[in-house]
Amino acid sequence: MTAKADSFIVDGKLALPYQYFAGRTGSRFLIQLRDQKKIQGLRCQTCDKVFVPPRSTCVSCGAKIADHWVEVKNTGTITGHTVIRYEEPHQPVKPPYILALIKLDGADTPLAHIVKGIPLTKVRTGQRVQAVFAKKTTSSILDIDHFRPLEEKPKIELGYSYEALEVGMSASFTKTISETDVYLFAGISGDFNPMHLNEEFAKLTPFGTRIAHGALPQSLIAPVLGMKLPGLGTVIPEITVRFRKPTYFGDTITAIGEVAEKIDARKWVRMELRWLNQKGELVAEGSCLAIPPVPLG
Amino acid sequence: MKKNRNVGIVGVGQSVFSSHREDVNQPEMIQEAVAEALAHAGITMNDVDCVVHGNMELFEMVHQPDLWHTLGSGAFGKETLRVTTGGTTGATLCCVADNLVASGLHDVVLAIGFEKLQEGHTTGGITNMADPLWARQLQTGALTGMTAAQTIEEFGEQRAKKAAMRYRILMDKHAMKNPKAHRRLGLEFDQAEELMTNSPALVGELRMIHMCSQSDGACAMIFASEEKAKQLRKNPAWIKDHLTVHREESFCIFGDAPVLMSHRYAAEKLYARNGIADPLKQIDVFEMYDPSSWWGLDWIREFLLLKGDEHLRMVENDAISLTGTFPINPSGGVIASNPIGATAMVRVAEAALQIMGDAGEHQVPKTVNQALASGFGGTLWSVLLLLTREVPR
Repeated sequence: MTAKADSFIVDGKLALPYQYFAGRTGSRFLIQLRDQKKIQGLRCQTCDKVFVPPRSTCVSCGAKIADHWVEVKNTGTITGHTVIRYEEPHQPVKPPYILALIKLDGADTPLAHIVKGIPLTKVRTGQRVQAVFAKKTTSSILDIDHFRPLEEKPKIELGYSYEALEVGMSASFTKTISETDVYLFAGISGDFNPMHLNEEFAKLTPFGTRIAHGALPQSLIAPVLGMKLPGLGTVIPEITVRFRKPTYFGDTITAIGEVAEKIDARKWVRMELRWLNQKGELVAEGSCLAIPPVPLG
Repeated sequence: MKKNRNVGIVGVGQSVFSSHREDVNQPEMIQEAVAEALAHAGITMNDVDCVVHGNMELFEMVHQPDLWHTLGSGAFGKETLRVTTGGTTGATLCCVADNLVASGLHDVVLAIGFEKLQEGHTTGGITNMADPLWARQLQTGALTGMTAAQTIEEFGEQRAKKAAMRYRILMDKHAMKNPKAHRRLGLEFDQAEELMTNSPALVGELRMIHMCSQSDGACAMIFASEEKAKQLRKNPAWIKDHLTVHREESFCIFGDAPVLMSHRYAAEKLYARNGIADPLKQIDVFEMYDPSSWWGLDWIREFLLLKGDEHLRMVENDAISLTGTFPINPSGGVIASNPIGATAMVRVAEAALQIMGDAGEHQVPKTVNQALASGFGGTLWSVLLLLTREVPR
């Protein structure tokens, strides 16, 4: 008893244990889960709805549906979610954890369960998930231990379609050309010309030192066109280049592609190409035709 | 729906609502409301035929409280009924009293709703609501951030947050005019930004300032047959219709389907059978069970069958204020006072006072010919009562 001014407060505490009878219908769902690792629902034929968790009567029309078991998939979609952060003794796992409503494939109603394997802040409605069954049975809904994100095929993101491309859009790639690059390129192309490889010979040429193969900086436009603009899925049927200045060892070359024209008749684009060195000097210029990506497969 | 005879509300009494009523025990607190209702009706317990009593089950940890409460309810020797339908208890008490009088079983019925939330464990009671096998983990008591999230998604963060806070501040301004209200904070509109940023978060963007209080308090109302009501007072509030819609307690049975369809469904049905084509024009005041300002905001659209952002605009342009074109909760609503077993009855009581013109400082400045009151309970239980100034025909 605590006193507050002129009024006493009587303290008390009730602990109220209880049990709950799952019934035959609810129990059958749990038995199937425990013994077969199968998730079943009850189907109302009148309303064409499958209820998971099960219920003996249809909530909409009141029909008895307890015998109309159908199997649903152990994959599903999150239709609602929250993050449990407070801690209470009866919780199945230690907070924080994601509690989600999961509509299993083949069911019309969602099941509440725990989702693991997604950062708490990243869970979203529409996320596809898959049941992970518990190693030890408890004859409860926790025979599904939790749901985890469904692994989906890696998604290929194609570049800009013809419709998405606009005149004036540009992209670039920059790289420093080293002696190693030149040696490797000599091996790739078979062009062992001493003006690229022999410093003493090169001293006698108009350049006075070794220079890179012209096709080496030129090739730096490939990552621009094929991976940036238009990007993945692009085909280049034609490319023309005029070389303006040599590329010396150690030069940093920026290859730039810019959409110059949209050719509606073919759904191709013409692109202007430029190569600049670190001093901003024009190393090469040219143009190409590009066939922007169309959906794969 | 066909009524055997008309029923009028002839007396309303409310205890003071407060977070703590250590000064009175339960029957004493109830007696405050009963005495006021009897005085308002100008009768004594001798004139009452039946007492209907209700609160939330499990909230004060007293079994059959109506027995003990006979000390304050005056039910000794009377016919009695006990009603306990969760948050809707107070509204259901009114429906039951209406039925008892309309049927001809009794001429004068006293209905009492009460709660002393400070004495028990509210969330402990509420979380025991759902199917323990499948849905118990989902029950969080009265706190849910879903409507906040949905409103923000639909209307954008800034607009949604501002509208919810404007609703909250408008309700507080109403509560300031109601001496019975529990929370009278004296909020001003220029505090909105600070409150919506710094009020402690409960669930997502549902913050402490948005949420209703836990109150101690009681409400009593006296219902009489048309004949008696006309004898007792000049200006009874008549019960034109009442309607209850309920469904299983889980919010999301069909996944992302509309959540609170029970409110809109109830309103559509009530309006259809009472010839209400334009609720905004045909209803003069609405006492809504608004457990939080997010729900209050959203439910304006549900109950009034509005589309798009009409409900937001009604808040943004103060149409819902006491002096606005469509006043909502002149009493300050549930956000201001929430003795749960009484809360839904207070909605009906306040609607009746507005019709009678007896609401005092928070009386709306116009004749109230038709008033709407709503009750909300569990997660998807709606009760609506339609009151009129003229005798229903």
